[in-house]
Amino acid sequence: MVHHKRWGWGLGVATASAVTAFGLASWQANAAPSAPTPTVTSEQVSVTDPRPAPEAATGRGDDALTSTEVAKARAIALTPELAANAQDVTGKAGPEYLSAEVDAEAAGREAELYFYDYKSEKLVKQVVDLTAGKLVRSFSAAGMQPPASEQETRTALELLLADPAGSRIGEAYRAATGKQLTGTEGLVPTAHSYTAKPADEGNRQCGKSRCVQLIVSTDDGQFLSVGEFIIDLSGRTVARLK
Amino acid sequence: MTYRKMAGAVALLTAAALGASVPAAAQAAAAAPNCSGASTVKETLPNGTTWQLCWRIHEMAGLVLTQVSVSTPRQPEQVQVLDSIRLAQLHVPYDTGDMEFDDLTDIGMGGWSLETLDGDDCKGGSARLGSDGSAEPAQRPVLCVSAEPAGLAYRAREENWGENGPEAGTLYSKQGHDLVLRTISKLSWYEYVTEYRFSDDGEISARLGATGDLAPGYESDTARGWPVGKDDAYKAAMHYHNAFWRVDFNIGGQGGERVQQYDTALDGRGDMTAKLKTTKTDITSEGTFNKVDQRWWRMVSRKSKNTDGHPRSYELVTGGNDRYQGHPETKPDVTFSEKNLCEKWASDNDADPECPADVRTVLDFVKDKQKLTDPVMWVRVGFHHVPRDEDQSPMPMHWQGFDLVPRDFSAMNPLTPDGRTGQNGNPEPAPEQEPEGLAPSGSQN
Repeated sequence: MVHHKRWGWGLGVATASAVTAFGLASWQANAAPSAPTPTVTSEQVSVTDPRPAPEAATGRGDDALTSTEVAKARAIALTPELAANAQDVTGKAGPEYLSAEVDAEAAGREAELYFYDYKSEKLVKQVVDLTAGKLVRSFSAAGMQPPASEQETRTALELLLADPAGSRIGEAYRAATGKQLTGTEGLVPTAHSYTAKPADEGNRQCGKSRCVQLIVSTDDGQFLSVGEFIIDLSGRTVARLK
Repeated sequence: MTYRKMAGAVALLTAAALGASVPAAAQAAAAAPNCSGASTVKETLPNGTTWQLCWRIHEMAGLVLTQVSVSTPRQPEQVQVLDSIRLAQLHVPYDTGDMEFDDLTDIGMGGWSLETLDGDDCKGGSARLGSDGSAEPAQRPVLCVSAEPAGLAYRAREENWGENGPEAGTLYSKQGHDLVLRTISKLSWYEYVTEYRFSDDGEISARLGATGDLAPGYESDTARGWPVGKDDAYKAAMHYHNAFWRVDFNIGGQGGERVQQYDTALDGRGDMTAKLKTTKTDITSEGTFNKVDQRWWRMVSRKSKNTDGHPRSYELVTGGNDRYQGHPETKPDVTFSEKNLCEKWASDNDADPECPADVRTVLDFVKDKQKLTDPVMWVRVGFHHVPRDEDQSPMPMHWQGFDLVPRDFSAMNPLTPDGRTGQNGNPEPAPEQEPEGLAPSGSQN
């Protein structure tokens, strides 16, 4: 299983070993409970601490979209045409779902959903009126590359490992952990969407195509040097940055 | 120069900025915020100042604060300050020229990057539960709300002349406090703290802290790397953190602020020392601007006034700021643009199919020099990081940011104690009448 950042907050204990790699003493110092030192001017000031309430079904005004609203908006945004004609990062029918946000400036409660269609190489924006339960506006454009989805990040890592360049990761993983790398197990990828910079001759298509640059760490927090690879998710290729 | 004369000079300056404006009685009170209770922060600090706002997490921007308003014991109704404030870009280019991350638009500060508060992250504060802004939003404790001592807010000791010289009189000495909101985003090795501090005297500080670890890259050139391991074996690459914030004022709920720049320069000699002259420049159309010594900007309400009849404003105060010269859009320190919902990110703005694809950076936002009727302020603060041994590990927090300081938002110090309320424009107990003609007229903008 790939450990995505999504689960990163469960890794607090695991990162301890990464810290000890840098300095055992400092970790132990952090672990040791220390009493706060009172000073003359210190004054304990408290803020209110409301009890966490269950998530509401719907939000209002400047509230973020609730999970119920996102689910509802996604169902409306994914029109039959989009589901049939678009393609996701794995080549399956239906667009790659990227993100959802509230349009707090809209008159009513509106959700803006972003998808990437790998068939047309376009970013698709669907605006859903949550109150009316209707798709109200649709837009698409080429050459726009927002951050990668979880599925895109996973796919990028798989493409990198399958590439001849991937053997480098295996070596780096063994050097870092003393263990053999088996698939994506034990790796934590972070993807940056990548648009070719003027000096980058080898990845000119990136921007029109959807590309990412990966940062990969072991699940105990050691970074493996893979930053020089650009993974073209549209072309399913891996190229070196320099 | 006596205190009295100095006060006169201040009055002159203020009058010049104001012209012959007449006090308006009406004060627009901020309505209850348009967001639910779970996304409202409303806290009263020990000195009686109450800040109120809505918060949410945006997948790319991270923490977004909206409808920010403030009340104080002397101004009990909530008066709005900001429509919204948030990060608008974070460039992390390495001096080696082979790596740059534009963190907001390439990966995002919210969503998966947003950390669940843990350990000492919110010690002494309240960890608020909210949506993490990801594609499949999860409710997690992500916002830390706390009140922190801010040091001495003011001190004034009154003295009396007795038979034996000065005798101590009443002491006014008060501890100040900040309401502090922060979130943490982990972007691989770096971890960023997005922090806003709301002071009980009305000041707002926006800053970004960086901790976590240095990038694990090796650099051999001492012009671009600093040895951080034993001897010279391992050099960590120097790099920049160049942050942009988008600040949208809505003073008194009236919107449509004016933008003004003030500059102070030498102006000949007085009887004893140099004279200085402070001049105001109205910024009436979109543009980019750079800081020089003794230059500052403020956003002035056209309608909302304090009880002295002075238009309310907030001043931008920047401190340490390394200007990144590697991109044209990172050279200006501040950009004022007409509010446009298609202008979201200080760079890589071409990320919305509903919007023009050729409006990529702040420079594009202001290219047509539109008239400013509802200005948005884009503040850029850079930090060039030359690594040091102490950066390992974890890296001690380094900060970059700016302050928004109230200027005439209230008629006096919002923390003025009862014994000092008579000193509004009257620095001495029995003020003399100011000579006629000291306040110039006809300079109203």
